[in-house]
Amino acid sequence: MKGIPTVVITVSPEVSAQMRPPRALYPKGFKIGNSLGRPGMRDLQEKVLRDALGLLRKNTRPGEIITIEYPEYGEQYEPPRVKKVA
Amino acid sequence: MTISRKCVPFTPFERELSKTTIALVTAGGVHLKDQEPFNTADELGDLGYREIPPDVDSSDLMVSHHHYDHRDADEDINVVFPIDVLRDLHQRGVIGGLAKKHIGYMGYTMQLKAMYEGTAREIANEIDKGSRADAVVLTGG
Repeated sequence: MKGIPTVVITVSPEVSAQMRPPRALYPKGFKIGNSLGRPGMRDLQEKVLRDALGLLRKNTRPGEIITIEYPEYGEQYEPPRVKKVA
Repeated sequence: MTISRKCVPFTPFERELSKTTIALVTAGGVHLKDQEPFNTADELGDLGYREIPPDVDSSDLMVSHHHYDHRDADEDINVVFPIDVLRDLHQRGVIGGLAKKHIGYMGYTMQLKAMYEGTAREIANEIDKGSRADAVVLTGG
């Protein structure tokens, strides 16, 4: 296997960062179950997907999560946090 | 925060997007309605995956996953599995094409080692050997 370039769209950036993905996009404030946006928001879904595809050619570092804001998404949600081990 | 120290497989990408074939791999529990649903009754999770063809009618897709609220995906599968969006991009020449197969699995498991060393490798093999994908977009729920 020679390897295939990947990019992940995550709505749990802290959780995803633990696995140090090579390329990752966090659409800021999107809730779990809305990785690309809300139902029927095709323009927003396309924008998110194109931004993710655009990361394929960027010089990202493993574990670096690129955060992009999409105001048209509307109400924002807090992403899940990684529990700290005492 | 604990950071994985495992070697991260970074594969460079130098193609033009307009000549690139894309595969979708989702942990959102997406599958065809006539495929066996993921086993949401097993508290350990389901280690299987389902192949989804590129020309699938998105209304023939559904979600079996009990660890996120998938009502929005039930209404429009593109919120976790943007297959219609990808086809639009292909028709407009933004991407070169859609891979011959796309993958859905249920991204919840208590069997992390089996998922990491088994399922993940099997999915990577499906994509590498059988899909003709040049790049992969991964989504969660």
